[in-house]
Amino acid sequence: MIGIDRRIIFLLIGFATLLPLLKPFGLPIKVSPEVRAVYEYIEALPERSVFLLSFDFDPSSKPELEPQATALLRHAFRKNLRVIGMTHWLTGTGLADGVFSKVAAEMGKERGKDYVFLGWAPGTGALIISMGQDLYKAFPSDYSKNPTRGMPVLVGVRTLRDVNYLVSLAAGGAGIEMWYVFGKDKYRFEMGGGSTGVIAPGLYPFLRSGQINGLIGGLQGAAEYETLIRQKGTATAGMDAQSATHFVIIILVLLCNVFYFLLRDQKGRSA
Amino acid sequence: MPEQLIPTGTFLGAWVAAGLTLFIYSFLYTDNPLFKLGEHLYVGVSVGYSVVVVWYTVFIRLVGEEIKKGNFEPIIPVFIGLLILTRFIPKIAWLSRIAFAFVVGFGSGVAIPRTVSALILKQIEDTVNPLFTLGEGGLSLGWDLALPQSGVNTVILLVGVVSVLFYFFYSIEHAGPAKVAARTGIYFLMIAFGAAFGYTVMSRMSLLIGRFADLIMFSGAEYGYATLVLLGVIIVTLALWEIAIRRREGHSPPE
Repeated sequence: MIGIDRRIIFLLIGFATLLPLLKPFGLPIKVSPEVRAVYEYIEALPERSVFLLSFDFDPSSKPELEPQATALLRHAFRKNLRVIGMTHWLTGTGLADGVFSKVAAEMGKERGKDYVFLGWAPGTGALIISMGQDLYKAFPSDYSKNPTRGMPVLVGVRTLRDVNYLVSLAAGGAGIEMWYVFGKDKYRFEMGGGSTGVIAPGLYPFLRSGQINGLIGGLQGAAEYETLIRQKGTATAGMDAQSATHFVIIILVLLCNVFYFLLRDQKGRSA
Repeated sequence: MPEQLIPTGTFLGAWVAAGLTLFIYSFLYTDNPLFKLGEHLYVGVSVGYSVVVVWYTVFIRLVGEEIKKGNFEPIIPVFIGLLILTRFIPKIAWLSRIAFAFVVGFGSGVAIPRTVSALILKQIEDTVNPLFTLGEGGLSLGWDLALPQSGVNTVILLVGVVSVLFYFFYSIEHAGPAKVAARTGIYFLMIAFGAAFGYTVMSRMSLLIGRFADLIMFSGAEYGYATLVLLGVIIVTLALWEIAIRRREGHSPPE
């Protein structure tokens, strides 16, 4: 077992992923308080409130963060909020615009009136400060080249202080932390976060201290959000596969430990 | 040819996506030319895409269009940015220091106060929470582990922070009570690493699930069975490549 060909492990993980995707067995999904907090904040916002969704990821994190983005957009559009989208990740621009267009079309929302996708601009922290001073200077036009000034969706919005709620979907440092440090701490808007599983443990201190009011972590978090909005999507579909692969990994870890200790005992006796 | 219900661009995109995913996963068998092709394409496309977005967003939208409108403010950052390029001309290379001085000065000035406030002071404030809460029945210590602000969690947090900091305190020998504190720190660190690793495994599996979900979608008739066809092509290519390598090394292919 200790010297097992690693390709056998790849095959086991492959089957554990593939089979539940082909034939799901529908394990229950329990909603965590940190995901519920984001949902409840959006749920409590009055109609036409301003919701800023920052797509701070690129295609390499798409399987985890696109379902989160889709679920959040569906919820925001259903609540008839005005949605502003943008990204700090240059390579995620096309992906983010695609998600916006797809969900907006599905919900019958109009670009420029119900939502705007501002795209990418350089600067990260400096860009946030610039948006906090004058949104129209930071983004004179949106991703579709339309001038932002005078856009119906941005009526009454001059700076970040006019944003009612912000969620950053982050795959790295230029995301939730950056938005908190240069944005929320200075311009005093409420914010939540969504992240990949890899960076989620590092964000729990922000949650505990109240620096963010909620956190959607990884595919599991996305599935929880889909449960809350009662609209199942790709995250819910992937949860059975996630559980199956975790089960295989736990079994393999246990087996390897058993064989390791057996071998160690054998070596000890023969020495 | 199956009846094509989806746009041609999406159809071709599905074939490219399925092919490149399978090329990259072929590395699980062994390092091979198909993997290398996928890897190089990934790097090339990422860089090419970034250059185009930067050119359009920065040079066209934020600089060119603003100057056309009569707003000449962007000329100042463009000028400072261009100074960096003087490093390529040794005689005037010193001019680049102005740009670097601006970047370092502005960056530090903006980042240091905000980072200290948001990441250090705010976290210290949260580490030292009140142990007891005053309710109707007087002072009480919260025992609910699920409640982040409960008294018991405050104690755990405080012990964790202090013991981990102590573990990285090398000015005194870790012996006696100091050893106990340092060891407690190690346990807290191990739990933190375990949680981080668990989340990382979950994250990586999510990525695999995402790609598999796409591969399953692309294996349908509407996509021309892209995944199945390409999987077959890749298996045959890898087999031929393996045979060619063995022949070159002087071994006969397996029966």
